[in-house]
Amino acid sequence: MSNTSLTRRGAALAAALMSASLVLTACGSDGDGTGDKTAETRSVKADNGTIEIPVDPQRIVTIGNTNLPFIDLGGEPVGVTEVSASDLDVLPEKQRTAYEAAEIVGSNGGEVDLEKLAGLKPDLILVQFHSNDWDKVGKRLETIAPTLLWGLDTEWKAFADAIAEAGNVADALSRQKAEYEEKVAKIQETYGKIIDGTSFVDVSRGDWNDPGTFYIADIGCSEIARDDVGLDLPEAAEGKDPLAYESLPFEQIGGLSKYDVITYPVDAEGRPAEPFVPVVETNTWKALPAVSSGRALGVFCPGNNSYGPVIRYLDSLDSALATLPAKK
Amino acid sequence: MSTHIPRVDFGRRVLVLRHRRIAVRLLWRSVVVCAVLAVAVAVTAVLALMTGSYQLSPGQVLSALTGRETGIVHDVVVEWRLPRVAAALVFGAALGVSGAVFQSLLRNPLADPGVIGFSQGSYTGALIVILVVNGTYVQLVGGALLGGMATAVAVYVLAHRRGVQGFRLIIVGIGVSAMLGSLNTWLILKADLDQAMSAAAWGAGSLNGVSWDQVVIGGACIAVLLLPAGMLSRPMRQMELGDDAAASQGVRVSPARLGLIVVGVALTATVTAASGPIAFISLVAPQIGRRLAHTAGITLAPAAFVGALLCLVSDHLAQHVAPTPLPVGVITVVLGGGYLGYLLFTEVRRRP
Amino acid sequence: MTALAPRQDGPGTETVPGPRRRLVGLVVALVVLVVLLVLSVMIGSTAIAPSVVWDALFHSSTGIDRFAIRDFRLPRTIVGLVVGVALGLSGALIQALTRNPLADPGVLGVHAGASFAVTVAVGLLGVRDAQGYMWFAFAGTLIVTLLVLALGSTRQGSSPVVVVLAGVCAGAVLGGAREALQLTNPDAFDAMRYWNAGSIVGRPIEVVWPILPFFAVALILALAVSGPLNALALGDELAVAQGVRLVRTRVLAVIALTLLAGGATAIAGPIGFVGLMVPHVARWIVGPHQRWIFAYSILLAPSLLLVSDILGRVVMRPGEIPVGIVTAFVGAPVLVALVRRKKASGL
Repeated sequence: MSNTSLTRRGAALAAALMSASLVLTACGSDGDGTGDKTAETRSVKADNGTIEIPVDPQRIVTIGNTNLPFIDLGGEPVGVTEVSASDLDVLPEKQRTAYEAAEIVGSNGGEVDLEKLAGLKPDLILVQFHSNDWDKVGKRLETIAPTLLWGLDTEWKAFADAIAEAGNVADALSRQKAEYEEKVAKIQETYGKIIDGTSFVDVSRGDWNDPGTFYIADIGCSEIARDDVGLDLPEAAEGKDPLAYESLPFEQIGGLSKYDVITYPVDAEGRPAEPFVPVVETNTWKALPAVSSGRALGVFCPGNNSYGPVIRYLDSLDSALATLPAKK
Repeated sequence: MSTHIPRVDFGRRVLVLRHRRIAVRLLWRSVVVCAVLAVAVAVTAVLALMTGSYQLSPGQVLSALTGRETGIVHDVVVEWRLPRVAAALVFGAALGVSGAVFQSLLRNPLADPGVIGFSQGSYTGALIVILVVNGTYVQLVGGALLGGMATAVAVYVLAHRRGVQGFRLIIVGIGVSAMLGSLNTWLILKADLDQAMSAAAWGAGSLNGVSWDQVVIGGACIAVLLLPAGMLSRPMRQMELGDDAAASQGVRVSPARLGLIVVGVALTATVTAASGPIAFISLVAPQIGRRLAHTAGITLAPAAFVGALLCLVSDHLAQHVAPTPLPVGVITVVLGGGYLGYLLFTEVRRRP
Repeated sequence: MTALAPRQDGPGTETVPGPRRRLVGLVVALVVLVVLLVLSVMIGSTAIAPSVVWDALFHSSTGIDRFAIRDFRLPRTIVGLVVGVALGLSGALIQALTRNPLADPGVLGVHAGASFAVTVAVGLLGVRDAQGYMWFAFAGTLIVTLLVLALGSTRQGSSPVVVVLAGVCAGAVLGGAREALQLTNPDAFDAMRYWNAGSIVGRPIEVVWPILPFFAVALILALAVSGPLNALALGDELAVAQGVRLVRTRVLAVIALTLLAGGATAIAGPIGFVGLMVPHVARWIVGPHQRWIFAYSILLAPSLLLVSDILGRVVMRPGEIPVGIVTAFVGAPVLVALVRRKKASGL
């Protein structure tokens, strides 16, 4: 019973302090020992509005999909949410160290330990997760520190720009961007003749696919190959789910024979990616004209949400296209 | 095969064993048990307010509660921990009552609002909003309620054939739940990993990020619903003896049953709207309450207190047991299921 | 055969067909199954002409489609047949043993056990291939089924309600633990998404061979206990009076159903409803005669599974719907209709 009164009292208290607390937190964070730098701010635009953030943020926490792109730009977050083991495996050593040096503040399913996060005393929080996770904890994140949100549908280049601006790592970004442009131009120049008039298809298989199913990858790395490099790759009809959401049974592997060149996922060493091995082992795959004529190319895609992994993908695509036999 | 029906009636046998002769003493015991439970709830609540990943001394917590702290300390205690504790308490109690209503109504210890498809239906609604419509949190709540209610109504209507018989309701509920369960699996299968995990975390039931708004609005709904639940508790107990017996004592069985179902579902719906479907409290709380209070049938008050305690303890564990916080529903399932298993085990040993 | 099937089934006795009608029904069921087996090879998510199918099966053809038939549709059909038989028979055994129409491998926490074991394998032990999961699923099923049935049995015998309660408990506890593992481990979550649906696509025929001996043993055991189970349906006392050895009957039935449910789940993942629904339908057709119920279940369950699988291949072309999802959608309305029948409401 004593508890009910406690609750009521708390509710009244909360109502009374609701408006005051907003002002007070703003004052409070100033005095929290993060130094004078926080006093100077700049405005940054994100999905949750125009936010005032420190000019030179020192203690950044990344939540959801902002983790790896920020680290990729040379950022060193103080707190991160968990990254799956399969993503960690393909991470360059230095980035892995940066990830492991950070405190883990939650899983990637939107369950964030807010108190632990507050305990890290961040001066900037970068978030990309599902909008209903934001609806749950967004306000509270904003009371801890200036917070920038990007939705899951943010295009990766705009995302990299935004993260670089917010996290003060724009130098690294312009270096990566230049390298990226250069790689794309080189591929277009070197293989222009081969690419023209050749139909490509990118197929893949993930751990979540039922054994005996695969999918046509029209999102992820092949989106870059299609839209930036200019390969002729299939695309879902306007307004429809991506083709990749549809698991196709192996009996449809035969249908791939209508494409000139097939690309498929391989690991860093060039072996077929583990989930994709069952496809390579089928008789139908082996009988495909593209496969038997050496026009099935393994391409390594370590990620598609920031420039670093995309550059590694382009390198792999480059060396794969180099093995393509001349046109008949 | 008709010999099978009475065997499903697990709860009634106890009613026969314990006689009305000692009814007064039983009532006294109920009061004592409820009081003890209330103390346990209070102690757990204080503990939950004192502990968390953000290090605070008891003095700081106390001064925050009395309004003498500002900034992050105030936020952590008054805006984060307190509503979370309040939510666990109020929602847990509501789930306990909801389960008690269903178990008494269906004369079956397995019954809870999940039986008539509410949980699966609300999960389906939520999944559609998250994965297909990509909607906001408000839409998510709306979708979940709509899905849950629609399913409950569909199950009730499908089981209605010259009145609703408890056993038929259970079977229809299992069928429809299984169907929606596979639809949910299918939706998760067709989604992007980030979206799917976000949806699954909601589906497990979580109190992370519960705000005062949710507690106040949810609490008000629950308070309003507890009124008819209390008023219907007498006919409810009479109906436990059988429809005919209740009718002979002047209970209008059909309206009373419909009213109880509506109250039970609405209580669960309120909790689901605020925190997602927190599983198993509604199933276990009435059973534990009945055993602690040694009452003949299912009674509401002990179930409510047990529900509150179970939810509080589970949420506390959920925040501290794993390296990263878990949804509370994951813990309630394990704790509740484990306790019910233990009860079964001891029950079996005691039997001749 | 009828001598083993006593007709003292109490006041609720329905007018059940005589032995001849039952036999005719059985033949019809067999024909239906054969037709479905053929259709399952003919129909798929890609349209392949019947003549091509024929050539692929019986002649040496050269087209690329021959592999689609030989490597994918034929094994898939065989897997469907085997898994269907196992599911149907295990459902019939569980319902007879626990005398509970609610009993189903799913209700008894079997699927949760298998699912938990597979999650542990994926999330904690890093097992990545389907052949590897299979044994975890099998072991998980065996342990949980035995645990549930042990928890649910008294010194006198098992009480149907307690068994179901124990199943719900085990299912819930393991389900919760699995969820905790999955929500903290995205890789495990990802890999488990398809597994939870239940499907017979892409299981190479090689995964069936090691399970077959278990099924054969289970089938023999099931036939051996079908008579005693008949008597058991009347209650323990009456069964003892008829000379049934309770403990032996129960132990054998438990072994049989565990092997069947475990093997089926290991191969195909959790496919619900087949084990729940088919014995219901069988009992509705032939009345309370275990041996007939078993026979009908063995034929009807794979038919249901194959119909569902074929439906799943064609309704969402070019994609497919996993069979476990279709069985639920086919099964639930049938179950609801059955329960609404006045006669069947007492099942």
